[in-house]
Amino acid sequence: MIGTDPLTVLTLTPLFVGFGLLILPQLLPSKNAKSIQKVSRSISFGVALGLFTFATYLSFKNFSGIDWLDISMGDYILTNEPTTLISSIGVSWIVGADALSLPMIWLTALLIPLSMLVEWDAKKGHLFHPLILIMEGALLGVFVALDLFVFYVFWELTLIPMFFLILVWGGDDRKYASMKFFIYTFTASVVMLIGILVMYFSTDGGASAGSLTGHHFDLIAMAAQDTLIETEGLRHLVWLLLLIGFATKMPSVPVHTWLPDAHVQAPTAGSMLLAGVMLKMGAYGFLRIAVSLFPESTVIFIPLLVVLGMASLVYGAWVCMGQTNLKRMVAYSSVSHMGLIFLGIATMQPLGIAGALFMMFAHGLISPLLFAVAGAFKHHYHTLEIGSMRGIAHHSPYLAAHMMLGWMGSLGLPLLAGFVAEVAILIAFWMTFGWLVVLPALTLIITAMYYLSSMQRTIFESNDRHHGILPESLHGEDPTDVTWHENTGMFILGSLVILFGILPFIFFDMMSDWSTKFLETILVAALENQGVNP
Amino acid sequence: MIFLTNEEMKLIIPELIMLAGLLGIILIPNFGDAKIRLPLTKIHLPILLGGKRFKSTSNPKLPNRLTMIALVVAFFFGFADRAATGDVGNTLSVDSFSRVFFLIFTAALILSTISAAHRIPARSNVKPPNESDSESLTSRKIDALIDNRRQVDFHIILLMVGLGMSLMAMANHLFMLFVCIELASLSSYILVAFHKESAAGGEAGMKYFIVGSVASAVGIYGMSLLYLWNGDLSFDSLAASWAAADGIDPLAGIGVGLMLVAFGFKVGAAPFHLAAPDAYSGASSPVAGLLATASKAMGFVAMIRILIGITLPVEGEAFWFVTIALISVITMTWGNLAALTSDNPKRILAYSSVAHAGYMLAGLAAIGSGIASIAATKLILIAIIFHLAVLVLFKFGAFLVLSLLETEGRSHRLEDLYGLGKRAPLMAGSMFVFMLSLAGVPPLAGFLSKFLMINGIVNASVASGSAGSVSVLGWMGTVNPVFWLAIAIVFNSALSIFYYLRIGLVMFFEAPETDNPLKSATSLRLAITACALLTMILGITSLGDSVLDIISNAVETFIGN
Repeated sequence: MIGTDPLTVLTLTPLFVGFGLLILPQLLPSKNAKSIQKVSRSISFGVALGLFTFATYLSFKNFSGIDWLDISMGDYILTNEPTTLISSIGVSWIVGADALSLPMIWLTALLIPLSMLVEWDAKKGHLFHPLILIMEGALLGVFVALDLFVFYVFWELTLIPMFFLILVWGGDDRKYASMKFFIYTFTASVVMLIGILVMYFSTDGGASAGSLTGHHFDLIAMAAQDTLIETEGLRHLVWLLLLIGFATKMPSVPVHTWLPDAHVQAPTAGSMLLAGVMLKMGAYGFLRIAVSLFPESTVIFIPLLVVLGMASLVYGAWVCMGQTNLKRMVAYSSVSHMGLIFLGIATMQPLGIAGALFMMFAHGLISPLLFAVAGAFKHHYHTLEIGSMRGIAHHSPYLAAHMMLGWMGSLGLPLLAGFVAEVAILIAFWMTFGWLVVLPALTLIITAMYYLSSMQRTIFESNDRHHGILPESLHGEDPTDVTWHENTGMFILGSLVILFGILPFIFFDMMSDWSTKFLETILVAALENQGVNP
Repeated sequence: MIFLTNEEMKLIIPELIMLAGLLGIILIPNFGDAKIRLPLTKIHLPILLGGKRFKSTSNPKLPNRLTMIALVVAFFFGFADRAATGDVGNTLSVDSFSRVFFLIFTAALILSTISAAHRIPARSNVKPPNESDSESLTSRKIDALIDNRRQVDFHIILLMVGLGMSLMAMANHLFMLFVCIELASLSSYILVAFHKESAAGGEAGMKYFIVGSVASAVGIYGMSLLYLWNGDLSFDSLAASWAAADGIDPLAGIGVGLMLVAFGFKVGAAPFHLAAPDAYSGASSPVAGLLATASKAMGFVAMIRILIGITLPVEGEAFWFVTIALISVITMTWGNLAALTSDNPKRILAYSSVAHAGYMLAGLAAIGSGIASIAATKLILIAIIFHLAVLVLFKFGAFLVLSLLETEGRSHRLEDLYGLGKRAPLMAGSMFVFMLSLAGVPPLAGFLSKFLMINGIVNASVASGSAGSVSVLGWMGTVNPVFWLAIAIVFNSALSIFYYLRIGLVMFFEAPETDNPLKSATSLRLAITACALLTMILGITSLGDSVLDIISNAVETFIGN
């Protein structure tokens, strides 16, 4: 059976607890629904906190003293003894972490309790928190699984709790948003599955091969195989199929349209997880599978990556300027920032890839902060319209401070986490593509423009020293100030944004070492084959 | 010799148990306190038959329980003795191949029995209507009385279906095969029409009967041609003559072709599937589920016996390869396209079942292409049988959910599923699992079976593509056409996701039409939950491997013959 190694425990605990909390209350009489809700909330939060502690402990215990340059590519830490799940088709339970997945694992473990915390008082019934726990298990599973079948299962499993989070606890237009979210991402994953199947059929036997089929899903063994798919054309096709799956999740223009709708309608916790971790699954999968296994295709398709990345970056930022809805604006800014990740990978420089990795992490701190702010804004002013509430600084200084910090982080203010990533990517981009860097650099100005103008209209611009100019949606009632739990959640995220802005090397060193190694062992040969001088 | 020897009896214990159950249902409800007086004495001897029935024997729920017991015990014996091998008389032979199908049939029948108990309920405390009763109460009471009266009929026919199916799986003689298929088919026609209070039920039964009997007639004509050709209809003799023949005798070829019409109707292959949607939507859900799983499996046993067992050449392409390949692609595409445009959940499931027949026919076609190695042939056969086995879980599971809805009225509009997520979350969740599994989403059982099928086809054909091609198109030009069958399955599965999701999503998106709680129907709900759990467990744990082991033993027995 599946062992008790740390990553397995980390992944399966939230799944079991979550499903247990989901089903057990069905057996109890419905009279004490209220107390069930409280108990379920407390247990979920406790488990999430425990897992966060465990993840932090694991990170520091196992990863602090490691020189990442010593670890060759394809070696993982915290691995388990591979266990066969379905021997007939060669599915095994293999987990492991490296510098690519470790920050994501820690980030997931961090954001789950925080997302529960900011909506601590919301009356969501007893199913809300268990669903978030299931979400945690599925997300961690995506990041730790080293078997493509298991990876795919977890990848699809993340859809289901998020679908219900939007559908049940979302805004007015939640049906449309959740349907769109589900159909977009599901269809894209099916396309990705076809790619995975072709890869599967190209594996030779081996220890983990299925007894009936003679193939396996083992990612490590796939990477070790000389040429995974012999036909070059088929290789490119598979790479493209994978790209469709990953780019839709990230999301990149032109398959991004589900994201703004899903974000606007999702509850705060859902938005935080969606922006914070779920989008990163796309970038993670792209690096872990598409780039690692098909470096030559990646090199050939660099222009495509640049076009996709640039289009997302510029288009996302451009559309942001016209948004009047706070969440929609943040959602499009996510599209824009995800574009930077593609650009970072396309540079084929250690610095660029490390920047992309750090962007994944930094955006995973900043965008949840922004969505927590937007959630609190909606909660207290009953609107998401930018400019309908003016002078938050007067009425609610804490919320104003968090909002400002989030926006500054997102537009890349020095000494905040986003800056490190953006600068690294831009420098690397300049090193590879020269003056083309003007376009992304100018986009950062657009970013600054829309953030500063929203800031002006929302936070300041009021003469009323006590209340600011209140939105009509309050119908003349006095708004409440942010609650303690919202404040705590946003404070923690804000401090981390500052911490990783000042001390980025906590993760950045590890990432840049990993990127150097990644480039040396996997990409350089491919680049040389294509006649590009690395 | 008419009587069976002890060994033969032992081999067919499960069938004998079914037969005993059948007789039991006929006899036991008639037991009463009738006595006869010995002439010229005052001694009254109880003879049990007739008179006032005992409380226990007059219980209208008795036939259902007896059927259940007979089926479960038969299943248990069949499972325990699944490796037994031997001949019974001249026309039946038991081996693990036939036993696997016996288990599939019986499992479907058990589910059918469970749901029939709620779909056509027996109520033990119904009183005849009084004059003072209101009109609606009177009609309800009369309905209940009619339901009580027809319990015996329904369950007898159900067991007949089971008996016919399990005997046909054991038949090693074409004539016996046909007689058993007819036993099962004629009984299933009655079951389809059993729902006679609605006009749709009668119409469905009539349609299914007419089309079915025409198909059977064509098949019997084909069989007679084969008899003219060979003079002996046992499978061994047919296979030997077929292998010995130089080329294909037109008589034999036409005979096999005509028989394929009959079997094509059974599995729901295009263009013989046209009666299926009407039959499924007119029949009550327990019966529709039976048609979609057990009846389809029966058709595939016959196809495998004839196509693989008799007419498959040792090397080279089988003469039916192109036909079956074309039919499979047409069937799956037609089924999926028709399902996309339908608004009736039962019709959607019927068309989906047509599409699934197409996937399995694609597997058969790949075997007949002549490029499949023995290992690939085995793999595809395992995939087909595994698919038929797990269909019982998720296809019948979906029909069980519809039965649950039918207990409160009707289930032939998509609107009837609206808001199920609110009214019965666990049932809606299970239905969602069934739909995803039908669509073939990992890690559910439906994925595993479809995956093995694709794997077999790809293993058989992928080596034919030239590895040196640089472009995808170049490679595609060189690969054997069989490879395209796998692509067709993949594309059709992608297409099918939309209508499965449609059923899955309306349960959560739309507001329910009524707020009345669903009928509790504990055993039915338990069965649905069990099906959903098994669908998940078989897909991801080693239990799936154990089932595959049993099936691969069966396939080895079959191929070895």
